[in-house]
Amino acid sequence: MKLLLPNELYPNIVSHLCSTYPNEGGGFLVGKIHQDEQRVVEEIYPVENTFAEQEQFHRFLAESSAYQQIEDMADARGLTLLGYYHSHPNVAAVPSEYDRIHAWPFFAYLIVSIRNNQAVEERLWQLSQDRKSFIEGELLFI
Amino acid sequence: MPTIKIPTPLRTYTGGNAEIEVSGNTVAAILEDLVAQYPDLKQHLFHEGQLRDFVNVFIGEDDIRERDGINTAVQATDRLRIIPSIAGGTDEGILSQVDHSAIRTNQAAIITLLLFAFIVQLPLLVGFVSLTLFIGTMNERLNLFKLLYQSVLRPRGILKPDIKPDNPEPHRFSQGLGATFTALSTLFLIIKLSVIGWGLAWLVIVLAGLNLFTGFCAGCFVYYQLSKHNVRGFNKRPIRI
Repeated sequence: MKLLLPNELYPNIVSHLCSTYPNEGGGFLVGKIHQDEQRVVEEIYPVENTFAEQEQFHRFLAESSAYQQIEDMADARGLTLLGYYHSHPNVAAVPSEYDRIHAWPFFAYLIVSIRNNQAVEERLWQLSQDRKSFIEGELLFI
Repeated sequence: MPTIKIPTPLRTYTGGNAEIEVSGNTVAAILEDLVAQYPDLKQHLFHEGQLRDFVNVFIGEDDIRERDGINTAVQATDRLRIIPSIAGGTDEGILSQVDHSAIRTNQAAIITLLLFAFIVQLPLLVGFVSLTLFIGTMNERLNLFKLLYQSVLRPRGILKPDIKPDNPEPHRFSQGLGATFTALSTLFLIIKLSVIGWGLAWLVIVLAGLNLFTGFCAGCFVYYQLSKHNVRGFNKRPIRI
């Protein structure tokens, strides 16, 4: 899976994830899928972390209503909910077992590792068909 | 016939269709029909025969969990919808983390207040520090000095988080020691044994200062010594990276 992320959008993702640091933050990636299966992000939608506050340093949860709203908006405008981004504060941008259990197929999972209020690594992942692992995708800045 | 809206990540299994007509009088029957139509959906919706707990089913605006779960009755005109819970996180138990900026704020506040109490000879202020530390030891979230950090200093960018892999327990123990010393100090000051009273307050000032300026946490040292000798309740070992 290839995800094309415009250079001007990435700083917005990073500043959102730094604002939630040292807790986790996340949001949705909305855009289009081209004929060659490349996904192009056109818009990002930060969402509130609604996990219990004391657990937010290692947990992220988006409200169903936030998902519903963004998917409806994307569907109505002929866009696709491509996936979502979230931060891993102080640990590597590699999906955890918790990520795998909660992951959905098709989605592009952009994980950004944040340390000391700075993005130090960003990697892209997709759940395998059998749900047993993540396959690393290609993240391209355009 | 009722319809069910499929979330984007599952549309690859329904030939790209977002809205599917389904039959059944209950949510369970509808999901069964859906999975019969599109068998590849099954592993993403069910685990060991149960609906996965991060799969949310809505009838109109209502989450079926707030009705009768999968036994909720469905009318022919109902529109159902599957909404995925979007969750992520890092693994538990890898390392616990401590924000050392919060701890340093705590120490700086202790030092400032105790020094001020000594200069103006105000034992009541030592008592206040003791009470704050006791409350903070009992419930981390009620620590006044750390609240100052979390609600004012950090959000305004005055202090930056300094998160380190660390055990919070030794720091809590250390704070408990500070609370005890300042409580004894207050007691001695009340009964006019000023030398012992202020001596204890100064001990706390020096130890907090040592931690603030050199990073050496005397209380943590004591905690780890007790842990080394397998004293009950002191079961965390130093984290080495």
